[in-house]
Amino acid sequence: MDANAIEFENVTKSFRIHHEKINTVFEHVTSIFNRQNQFERLRVLNDVSFTVKQGEMFGIIGRNGAGKTTLLRLIANIFRADKGNVRTNGSVIPLIQLGAGFQPDLTTKDNIILYGVILGFSRKEIAEKVEDILEFAELEKFADIKIKNFSSGMHSRLAFSTAIQVDPDILLVDEVLSVGDESFQQKSFDAFMSFRKRGKTILYVTHNLESVKNLCDRALLLHKGGVQAIGSPAQVVDAYMNVLRSYPDHMRAGMRRS
Amino acid sequence: MTVSTLRNHVNSIWSRRSLIRTFAINDLKIRYRNSVLGFFWSVLEPLLMLSVLYIIFTNVVKSDIPYYPLYLLLGLIMWNMLTRATSMSLHCVTGRAGIITKIYFPREIPAISTCVTASIMMLLELMVFSIFIVVFQFVPPSTMALLPIILIIQFILVLGLSLPLSVLNVYFRDVQYIWALITHAGFFLMPIIYRAEIFPEKLQTLLSLIPMTRILDMAHDVALYNIIPSATDWAYIIVSSLTILCVGYLIFKRFEAGVGEEL
Repeated sequence: MDANAIEFENVTKSFRIHHEKINTVFEHVTSIFNRQNQFERLRVLNDVSFTVKQGEMFGIIGRNGAGKTTLLRLIANIFRADKGNVRTNGSVIPLIQLGAGFQPDLTTKDNIILYGVILGFSRKEIAEKVEDILEFAELEKFADIKIKNFSSGMHSRLAFSTAIQVDPDILLVDEVLSVGDESFQQKSFDAFMSFRKRGKTILYVTHNLESVKNLCDRALLLHKGGVQAIGSPAQVVDAYMNVLRSYPDHMRAGMRRS
Repeated sequence: MTVSTLRNHVNSIWSRRSLIRTFAINDLKIRYRNSVLGFFWSVLEPLLMLSVLYIIFTNVVKSDIPYYPLYLLLGLIMWNMLTRATSMSLHCVTGRAGIITKIYFPREIPAISTCVTASIMMLLELMVFSIFIVVFQFVPPSTMALLPIILIIQFILVLGLSLPLSVLNVYFRDVQYIWALITHAGFFLMPIIYRAEIFPEKLQTLLSLIPMTRILDMAHDVALYNIIPSATDWAYIIVSSLTILCVGYLIFKRFEAGVGEEL
């Protein structure tokens, strides 16, 4: 089990920040005659290298805007790196911001199928799981209700219950373990941990430092787009605390709350 | 793009055919609001449109095209397929921004499923067409059997337009307005409500170079007039549709990579 699941090799990613967003043909044509300083580049990740081994649970921590979500999206193949290489070994499924694929005008059942198929199941596979998913989400009674009538709690419970049916090699988790009430949270935590027991590689992005210490095998601290620390969770969390201490008191308090 | 990377693309799309089907089914469900009446409306719409055009063009313009109502209806149905598929594909990526920026799947899939949806709707309308065939006591010629082949070639052409439109509209949001203008002009320039013969000869030659013009002419010939199109015509529509698909796919590939950031 020494093979690498994820390899980052000197990855740099920047975004164009338009002062005025140009997104019509007309504006493109006029901007040829009007070459002013139209955009600047914001470098979000700068020369990032690390590897995650197969079966590892790998924590990623850092302040807001440190580049954590960009990093996950590079792994998920939604962004392409400007420089460097991102290699993944096996199928990747993100559990980020759940329920984005839902269609409010369709029924719960149709939405489960839609979301499941987006996550990579065939229609048949997901159709067989519909009952289980409804039961897990505690939404059996609402199978034929249109989703636009759902409360936000029902919405995220449904999304989470569908998402955990996947069987990827690499799971990307971005702060999603706080859905629903206490009992549902316990259930989702158990489901999440079962991925670990089955030897899946998990990338875990969170602000909950305790859970990083308790759950992860290794961790990485992203700071200002670079790798500030990598290694045992305890060390990395300490490094993060040092980073936070380097800011003035009032900012630190604000950061802890967020 | 080499042959082997192209084969990889096709394989990765084929492996996600469940997704194409699901997008298409959902598009239809939402359009028909999960109701029987919704389906009824989709049949009624071409019926009403045809009735209006029929009244105008048989009483006011007095078209001398043989089997004019059927000529009109067939052209309308096929043209509808093109405009529906392309105008829906303009929004098929931007409308799914939420999911496309979160989870990866081949970016070709929204445009492909849109073309499938439009094709299914065309099949429904062709059922209306067959009702009209009965009503007008028209005996279809044996060449009608060639119509499905023409429709498949039309699908290739429409896919070749939909793929680039689906990503171009992400970068240039006025592509949708430009495209609406083109399709409006197309409706009056194509052989749908009249034949190309009414135009000056130079314009006729120019129009006949547009693949869709020739596809419509050929469809009319095989479905109504028992004329087998010439080999040149077949070659022309096949080669031009495939060329448009290739060029369209290259444009698509050029713009596809940045879609996640641009949305």
